[in-house]
Amino acid sequence: MASLADISVNLREEVEKTSRESKAHAVAVALLDFESGFRFSLAGNRWFHAASTIKVAVLLAIFRAPAEGRLRLGDSLHVRTRFSSAANGLPFRLDSDSDAMPELYHAIGRTVKISALAEGMIAASSNLATNLLLDLVGVEYARNVLRDAQVSGVELRRGVEDKTAHERGIDNQVTADGLLTLLCALRGNFLSNESREQAIRILLAQRFKSMIPAGLPAHATVAHKTGEISTACHDMGIVYLPERQPYIAVILTEFDPEKDGRHETVAAISEVIHRSLTGAERKAR
Amino acid sequence: MNIEELRPIDGLNLSAEYRALLRPGEAQNDSRGNVHRLPRFFYEIGSWQDAQKIRLAPHFTLAELMLVDCREAELLLRQFPHYVPCAIILLATFLENFRREVDAPVFISANGGYRSPAHQIGGAKSIHAWGTAANIYRIGDTFLNDAKSIERYGAIASSRSRAVLVRPFGSGAGETDDHLHLDLGFVSLTPRECSEAS
Repeated sequence: MASLADISVNLREEVEKTSRESKAHAVAVALLDFESGFRFSLAGNRWFHAASTIKVAVLLAIFRAPAEGRLRLGDSLHVRTRFSSAANGLPFRLDSDSDAMPELYHAIGRTVKISALAEGMIAASSNLATNLLLDLVGVEYARNVLRDAQVSGVELRRGVEDKTAHERGIDNQVTADGLLTLLCALRGNFLSNESREQAIRILLAQRFKSMIPAGLPAHATVAHKTGEISTACHDMGIVYLPERQPYIAVILTEFDPEKDGRHETVAAISEVIHRSLTGAERKAR
Repeated sequence: MNIEELRPIDGLNLSAEYRALLRPGEAQNDSRGNVHRLPRFFYEIGSWQDAQKIRLAPHFTLAELMLVDCREAELLLRQFPHYVPCAIILLATFLENFRREVDAPVFISANGGYRSPAHQIGGAKSIHAWGTAANIYRIGDTFLNDAKSIERYGAIASSRSRAVLVRPFGSGAGETDDHLHLDLGFVSLTPRECSEAS
């Protein structure tokens, strides 16, 4: 087995090669292996548009809130599609066409349990569920939770689909190192045992599997969250392999809009990480 | 349980913790600075099942007009009995009349009927704390989320009674753009068997 220093050098070379071949504008990787204690960071403090990875920060806040008496996960929340812009307070609406969970729109006017919204926010990446939950706890509270969890490198400033805020440069931003500490907070003792288990279970229910999981052997399971907008394509997750301790991998990329092969690039980097940590053979393509 | 079995109570006789949340008979400024007294007399609801069974009007159960989400005060959200202002019967009667006119099911949103003065949305300044306001998000198959539908059904509601206020379509203060708000004003109802003395 190679030394950790060799792994680091090899991993950096392979990620950079993959990045060059894919014509990505930028690639950042952060890695923590609980088996060996190996840490790795490539451009780990570079800021990226968060896209839907920010939903993991909202998840942390929602699962922290019960311990602080702010809500109960079994409580119900009124579903509506109207939200206030972080830029000027004016209303904006979400519509089902741009949401990966259109069935949630059938509940408009009625209530849905907070736990179900949390699952929809992560597993289906529902924008409506995200904004409902963030509206409930508030951006300020969610930011305070990140601070209390000692997560830096995750700037939560607004809900999703807030176009007015985006035009004024108010965006959610993340670094690979920041998202790694966020996943560490989710996995560690920051949450109660019950909240932690439920949060991880929700991440395991992720429906979009074409990035980190696609680079792994079939017996791997991944608690993860993808994020994708015009230029950004990310995945972050905890990789579980039955033969070893898990590892956390965060892969952030930036491409020209409409560039093909973005998911494949993240999947290829995921494979490189897996090979580097486990000594597995290169996957046949 | 049916409507005849609803038991009216004087809110001033409730325990201190309920009085602190429901604030029976207390003076409250509205958004214009006008002073109104919060409802003093309430119906006591023993369980959610009772609320679902009680028809205040042929097409409106009590449950529909008191459904709130987690922004309601803990005690009022999680424990029964619940207390609903007696004037809610007047609201249900108006809604039934309105439903007959539009000839379609009328759907009241969560948080869209009675909300206590302790509810995080609007609090005691909201007319929803009188139990005389309804937020209608859907009529038949039509979701009320645009000017056309809100103005159309708003005009019908207004035509039913001069006592009714319908908020105009819009996104400013006092306007709505994703539901139809109607209310009967700051109406309080004193049941015959109750006294306003003391």
